[in-house]
Amino acid sequence: MTHVSIKELTKVYPGSLEPSLDRLSLEIESGELTALLGPSGCGKTTTMKMIAGLLSTTSGDVQFDGRSILNDKPEQRGVVMVFQNYLLFPYMSVADNIGFGLKMRKVGKSEIDRRVKEILELVKLPDLGDRRPKELSGGQQQRVALARALIVSPNVLLLDEPLSNLDAHLRLEMRDLIRGIQQDLGITTIFVTHDQEEAVVLADKVALILDCKLKQYDTPEAFYRRPIDEATARFFGGQNFVPGMSKSGYFECALGRLKLPSDALLGSATLTFRPENVKIGANSVGENVVQSKLIDKIYLGTQTRLKFIVGDTKIDVMANPSDVQELVVGDACPITLSADSLWVLAK
Amino acid sequence: MSDRLKIFLLLAPVLTILIVMFLGGLAIGLLRSFNYMPIIGLTKPNIDAYVSIFTSKEFYVSFGLSLYIAVTSTVISSILAIGSALLLRRNFIGRSITQFLFQLNLTVPHLVGAIGILYLFSQSGSFARLAAEWEMISKPSEFPAMVFDPYAIGIILQYVWKEVPFIGVIVLANMQSLGENFEGVARSLGASRWQAFRFVLLPLIFPGVLSASVISFAFTFGAFEIPAILGANYPAALPVLAYRKYTDVDLAARPEAMAMAVMIALLSSVMIFFYVRYSRRRIRN
Repeated sequence: MTHVSIKELTKVYPGSLEPSLDRLSLEIESGELTALLGPSGCGKTTTMKMIAGLLSTTSGDVQFDGRSILNDKPEQRGVVMVFQNYLLFPYMSVADNIGFGLKMRKVGKSEIDRRVKEILELVKLPDLGDRRPKELSGGQQQRVALARALIVSPNVLLLDEPLSNLDAHLRLEMRDLIRGIQQDLGITTIFVTHDQEEAVVLADKVALILDCKLKQYDTPEAFYRRPIDEATARFFGGQNFVPGMSKSGYFECALGRLKLPSDALLGSATLTFRPENVKIGANSVGENVVQSKLIDKIYLGTQTRLKFIVGDTKIDVMANPSDVQELVVGDACPITLSADSLWVLAK
Repeated sequence: MSDRLKIFLLLAPVLTILIVMFLGGLAIGLLRSFNYMPIIGLTKPNIDAYVSIFTSKEFYVSFGLSLYIAVTSTVISSILAIGSALLLRRNFIGRSITQFLFQLNLTVPHLVGAIGILYLFSQSGSFARLAAEWEMISKPSEFPAMVFDPYAIGIILQYVWKEVPFIGVIVLANMQSLGENFEGVARSLGASRWQAFRFVLLPLIFPGVLSASVISFAFTFGAFEIPAILGANYPAALPVLAYRKYTDVDLAARPEAMAMAVMIALLSSVMIFFYVRYSRRRIRN
């Protein structure tokens, strides 16, 4: 169990004027599963490589349990990184790949064999020890890479885009496996992803990195309910942004005068609410009800996407298909934006 | 005109040269090695030339020398090439110019290199004179014999000078396409820098090193001009011995020359056969 502190970590590649990672600071609790989320090229993998010691830092510090590890060699850090494309050694069998870390530590052959067998059971590949990596499917290769990392009992496990090379079915299976093993073994784990859904379903906490800087570091739920700004909200699928003025308890905007939660920001601001939190129809007290017109309706299978218009303002809504079966494009329809679903962003 | 015929006609000039010059020459050489030379009245093929070379000590000494030159220069070149590639793949100021200089002598002909070695390393060469000038030795002739010497140091030096960039360029390209992440994985799994090289990078680049060094070996084993310029009179490398037999005033020595040339071609072919088989297997896998 290792507490990881990342302090003002910065990387400027030689010959580059702009940093690839700009003063990233994170406190990751022991045994926590943290996602570094962001679009490609925002410095996520650079961060991982600096933690693993595979890349030098420009400035800043990385500490494990309060001790800086930057002067430790990669093999002394107790950090194992699993790369996106697995990088299994092609000329070795699956068992030899998994036992590699133990062999480097000069563990005896019989002990290696025993532990490889155990870990193959853990990743649910009990009979594949003799195969070559190229004889395995993508999902199996991913498990072998994970087993190869876990067998050395790392203090910190780094996973680079662990689910991105897998198809939808395997993603779910791997997600459960990674989450399950991580919870059982309690290894502090950091993983990189560009997919907000992947971050939300796997991580205890998410660090959103945009333009090489940390935007928000919070629980997955907070990114939906309390995004720090419009860019963050948009990254998490936010569609509705209405400019206006936040006054004590109310928000005045093109949609009218809407009641706000008590802790909302004051002043000139942007109101946001998630498409799935908009209710079709009026509520009994008539509070925060907006008269609108349906201008588009797309059936997506498990959900229906609706677009309403209020004056010039368009509102995106996601609804249960059976709830909106009767609605036809062109219909006038009240919608309710309940106060607890509203969030005010600073301009 | 059918496509097949068109392709054949387009390839005809090069095929003609290949068949007439190369295979034709090889066939004549083979026939002469079996003592078939109607021009001097030898019309009954036999294996006398082979018996003669296989029973002569001179042949084995030359064969051994050629093998020693080829193995030594290929091994030294491969090791230096891997070392150079490891340095050149790093990021440093002036990398591209260093890489350019590293590859530069690929374009210099062997003969020019050999003359360079002669000027620099012979007992009357620049290094010998400098050593005498700086009083490291009392006169230039005391300079250690590195050219025309029985250990073929000059020849090996020349081959190493020429083969290091050849193997190095292939290995470097190989390393660059692999990237450094394989070693990164190994390091994070607990391997030291040396272990990551020994257990991960080396096996990964081995096929590239092998194919480049087989070509280098086949060339250094069969090449004539460098041992002819830089080699000792005795023992002579096999191609030099074959040439001497070929230019012997006694025309009867020619079949022996041809038999030696056939042996050189045979060994080179065996090497190339294994190389092709190995690379095909690699590609298939």
